[in-house]
Amino acid sequence: MSVSPDSATAVRTVADAVSEPLLSVRGLRVSVADGTEVVRGVDLDVPRGSAVGLVGESGSGKTLTCRAVLGLLPAGVEVTGGRISLGDTELTALPAARRARLRGTHLAAVFQDPASYLNPSITVGAQLAEVLRVKVGLARRAARERAVELLHAMGLRRPEHVYAQYPFELSGGMLQRVLIAMAITAEPELLIADEATTALDVTVQAEVLELLSELCRDRGLTLMVVSHDLAVIAQLCETVYVFRDGAVVEEGPTRRVLRGPRHPYTRELIRDHERFGIDRVREQGSRR
Amino acid sequence: MTTLVARSVAALGRALLIAVPVLLVSTFITFMLGGLTDQDPASVVLGDSATPADVARMREVFGLDRPLLARYALWLWDALHGDLGASWFTRIPVARSIAERLPVSLSVAAGALLIAVVLGGVFGVLAAVRQGGRLDRAVTVVTSVLATVPGFVAAIALITVFSLLVPVLPSGGWAPASDGLPTWASFLVLPCVALSLDAAADVARQLRTGLADTLHENYVVGARVRGLPGWRIVLVHALRNGAGPAVAVLGMHVPRLIGGAVIVETVFALPGIGELTKTAALGGDVPVVQGALLVTIGVVLVSSALVNVLLVKLRPAARREI
Repeated sequence: MSVSPDSATAVRTVADAVSEPLLSVRGLRVSVADGTEVVRGVDLDVPRGSAVGLVGESGSGKTLTCRAVLGLLPAGVEVTGGRISLGDTELTALPAARRARLRGTHLAAVFQDPASYLNPSITVGAQLAEVLRVKVGLARRAARERAVELLHAMGLRRPEHVYAQYPFELSGGMLQRVLIAMAITAEPELLIADEATTALDVTVQAEVLELLSELCRDRGLTLMVVSHDLAVIAQLCETVYVFRDGAVVEEGPTRRVLRGPRHPYTRELIRDHERFGIDRVREQGSRR
Repeated sequence: MTTLVARSVAALGRALLIAVPVLLVSTFITFMLGGLTDQDPASVVLGDSATPADVARMREVFGLDRPLLARYALWLWDALHGDLGASWFTRIPVARSIAERLPVSLSVAAGALLIAVVLGGVFGVLAAVRQGGRLDRAVTVVTSVLATVPGFVAAIALITVFSLLVPVLPSGGWAPASDGLPTWASFLVLPCVALSLDAAADVARQLRTGLADTLHENYVVGARVRGLPGWRIVLVHALRNGAGPAVAVLGMHVPRLIGGAVIVETVFALPGIGELTKTAALGGDVPVVQGALLVTIGVVLVSSALVNVLLVKLRPAARREI
């Protein structure tokens, strides 16, 4: 960034120097096996300790961008260009096993439909304890105790009871809390929440969003939130990137983008969301 | 956890409940078939020179003068009290012949089972992990061939290679474990391999299919997101949910490894249960056939009970599959 006499920019430069981006994506390209490009040169920065939102309709490339960051693209889809750096580490150059070691301890993710992301034949507690044993290196008994503590910290009542339940015995909201516990248990720096609250009903969604922002505040977690729901983004994120057809069409502070969208697509997106109470969120934003 | 124990007990109980009628019906059918043949064991035993009076006395000794149903009831009553009767021809108690031959059959079956689990397991898992790859296709071809090759063809091929071309193993016969483990094992290897091949092929195919499906599940992605190592995801998370069909198929092979090993036992001249049953059946020696049948049914019962319990333990959330 060039030095400018403008005071506002000067302040921003100082702020940027303090919080240099934790995650930095440059010119990311992702293609399907037949050569079709589905992510076409995405640039994005996630400053340490912040919450950044990715918004756009389905098929806009936001989820594939996240999967590329995680190093878990579906079969037949691969990164064909660009760089992804997490802190000082350049991820795209790393072999698969090294990337697997980074997952859990440096970056983690939760998705929509939490029930399907848990093994149906193992109790949720045992799956949480497994992460603690493998990624944190705790002994069996210590892992169990820590797992119960974590379940409690995620706002789950009767954590010992929850520990012994199979996924099909718990509700969607409870399962998402369990998955969030699993994601943050090895103390990653970056948590990707890909439509993490989409399938939940409104009150449960609000509770899970509250939990996520608490984690951000209390544990210094950096959050990357993917949603098609502008209300979710508005509630959690300082910065938003608007995706369309595999590219970023608009980016900026969430309040600015929501109040004064520049790109016609963003305006369309906001108009579509107005019916779902986005106005209220925008008013709250402007009062703050 | 208590529900898991309860479900295991229920699975065991269910296997026993099924076994009782199966036992009654199958022994009854063999009894009837024995009675319906016009072979008269009494005259066969006594030979051509016997007088009709001798034959009549012999029939009385065998109990053949009584109606078929009464004979069956009597046999069942004695069997329940541990008395399986004696061979009509050799007068040797059936229980003793079975006790002599069971170790042979059980060692061969156990060896074959072990080979089937190891070979089928390793190649099934590898094929599933390398889906669509060269190894996967090779496994598909080899298992398809093996599953269609009859046991005696495999047995003869193995003898040709390992006893004739490269004479390292005996072509047949038997030595008890008391003769030294290497000798015992040398007689065991070829029959075990011959008997295990189609079971191994079936296990590999079922495991490949079951595991290939589970590897596409979201919870596998979930486990990868948590950063668990690849081997752990396959062997702990996917195998648990994908192994059900393979376990069930293996359970169905177990009775065949014991009671159905007639041909392999004949080719390798093994004094096992299969060979005993064959000789008895050809001679119309009903008590021996009944006794051997009882053992086979017992093995079926135990293996299906074990399989049911194992399936419940593997997938506590699933409804029963077999």
